[in-house]
Amino acid sequence: MVLEMAHGTFACATFNRDFIRGVDMLITSRNDLRDNGWERILNYFRKKSMWMLHYCTGCGAMELPPTMTSRWDMERFGIGPMATPRQADLLLVTGYLSIKSLKRVIYTYEQMQDPKWLIAFGSCPLNGGIYYDSYTVINRLALYLPIDLSIEGCMPRPEAVINGFNTLMKGIEKGTAVGYKKYKENYEWYKKNQDAILNRTKPVFDSGVKS
Amino acid sequence: MIVLKYIAFALTSIIVGLLFMGLGRKYSARIHRRYGPPFWQSYLDVIKLFSKTSISHHWVMDFGIMMGLAGILATIAFLPIGPFHLFNSMNGNIIIMLYFMTIGYLGMAMGVSASGNPNSAIGIARALTLMLGYEIPFVIVVISLIFINKSSLLSVMVANQAGGFLHWNMIRYPLGFIAAEMALQGMLGEKPFDAMIAPSEIASGPMVELSGKMMGLGFLQHAAQIFLETAIITSLFLGGSSNVWIFFLKMFVLYLVSLSINAVSARFKFENAVKWFWKWPMALSLAQLLIVIL
Amino acid sequence: MTQKEISEKIKENFPNAEIKIIDKKQFSVLVDKEQIIPVLAFLQNIDFKELAILTAVDWIDENQFEIVYNVFSYSHYQQILVKARIDRNNPKIQSVINLWDIAKTYERDVHEFFGIEFIGNDELKPFFLHNWLDLPPMRKDFDSLAYSNEVYGKFKEERDK
Repeated sequence: MVLEMAHGTFACATFNRDFIRGVDMLITSRNDLRDNGWERILNYFRKKSMWMLHYCTGCGAMELPPTMTSRWDMERFGIGPMATPRQADLLLVTGYLSIKSLKRVIYTYEQMQDPKWLIAFGSCPLNGGIYYDSYTVINRLALYLPIDLSIEGCMPRPEAVINGFNTLMKGIEKGTAVGYKKYKENYEWYKKNQDAILNRTKPVFDSGVKS
Repeated sequence: MIVLKYIAFALTSIIVGLLFMGLGRKYSARIHRRYGPPFWQSYLDVIKLFSKTSISHHWVMDFGIMMGLAGILATIAFLPIGPFHLFNSMNGNIIIMLYFMTIGYLGMAMGVSASGNPNSAIGIARALTLMLGYEIPFVIVVISLIFINKSSLLSVMVANQAGGFLHWNMIRYPLGFIAAEMALQGMLGEKPFDAMIAPSEIASGPMVELSGKMMGLGFLQHAAQIFLETAIITSLFLGGSSNVWIFFLKMFVLYLVSLSINAVSARFKFENAVKWFWKWPMALSLAQLLIVIL
Repeated sequence: MTQKEISEKIKENFPNAEIKIIDKKQFSVLVDKEQIIPVLAFLQNIDFKELAILTAVDWIDENQFEIVYNVFSYSHYQQILVKARIDRNNPKIQSVINLWDIAKTYERDVHEFFGIEFIGNDELKPFFLHNWLDLPPMRKDFDSLAYSNEVYGKFKEERDK
């Protein structure tokens, strides 16, 4: 387990540790899937040129325009916004994720081409954030999609976002950011979790009535 | 021998085109008061794109994208780059080049239409409509130059401009040069005329379904296209050069002018763009033609 | 018309209505649920042309739902909250789609989130919620936290407080 801590002034970015209950059921861990050999050489180019999908799910999207434009300028790291999932390498889940947008995020993630990385942005995808008791907002994105990096904060400032990107670059260089392989290996587990909330057939509580 | 020479031509065009793109990105960033990516960023992008998996929806899609790149590279075979040229008899026949350039665009159109995404169909329809806009004034300018030089060969035109700055067609025929410069802005798809790309409206238009290696081919096509189009204008108006580095420098200056306009302007709707092309560059080019003939 | 004139006029036509002044631009009118259509039609006739929102309040202790029609007039510059109470166990009320087309959407929304049925509106299909099978979520007896913990998992450190 690689844990990269990068303490910024405003927030810190950590590699998503598999600390969540239920992840023990996964067949393979991230370490078994590490990139090696030729992939490691290509990873040098991949980390220098990450194209981010310009798709915004929640409030965190507000932090991205300053990160992209003149003030913080993430293009100096080779990161640029892209219009469609086909072209993109990075998917940012910016903020809260309702079930309806979860479905779209899953489509989007599956449309992206390997290698691809998923960044959970802000506290909502990690533990529900201020929507922890909402009936339509999911609490943990890691149950449905493999997160490569989490940027904590509500909302993370552009400095924290750029710090997070740099941490992800280190992970890619070391070959540990392999969420997409993990997703393929453990697809059944993820699919089960996704179906549990997207295709429910029974009400959750006995008192439930179909209105 | 000619094959090796052609490969060198194609590689040069791609490598120089990518270098222009990278320098151009840095230049735009400095205009925005950003630091900007390193100038070798485009090479990194291309290598990364070729290292990704890609998805194809139809064999026509694969074929069309390759045809797009091939069309542009085939045109480069006829292009005199500074002192170098491939064929002795057709040393830069501008009419053949205009025909071959169209093959590139049509290949791209075929490929992206086969992807089945409505956005790419809209994008390529806009691109071809816009092409109708800028090709006509450009062809009129070319006709007036052919009329002056009594030849359609770029090498003859370059030779006729020899003898210093004041002999350049840019100085001798300023109206035509301005019209051609406007058309170049449309050819490169830079900002007032980038309605076919429009990432926020039609999700980058033709490129919407291109992933990984296909996007890489598209990238290379764009690089070769920048090289080709700036080289044609350089030969037509800036006097070409017998030194290949000065030739590249002139091309790069043309590209920078185009990027400067790009960095400070907003986007035309494409029908307005076509109207604009048929009004101003057309008027300038027709005026130039009349001046030349009379 | 001023606020006073409007409220007197309502009182004149509907003696049962309870009128409560909220501030100088706003007052509420509580009527029986059978009278809701006549009252709204009357207000529409005296130039209250806009249905700003239609929503519901769950008074669980009194076992009642309160439907609130928020109507607005540009000429009088007045806002009226027309309210009607209905039984919580049998939540049914006449639809107002014949007065305002926009009510179609509002009623669909209220139907989804409170389970209230609007007689006469046949487009009450699911709207915002994805595959919803439980109690309508805006009812007071729906436990959102328990639902979230059950469906989306519970975070030990934070939730067990």
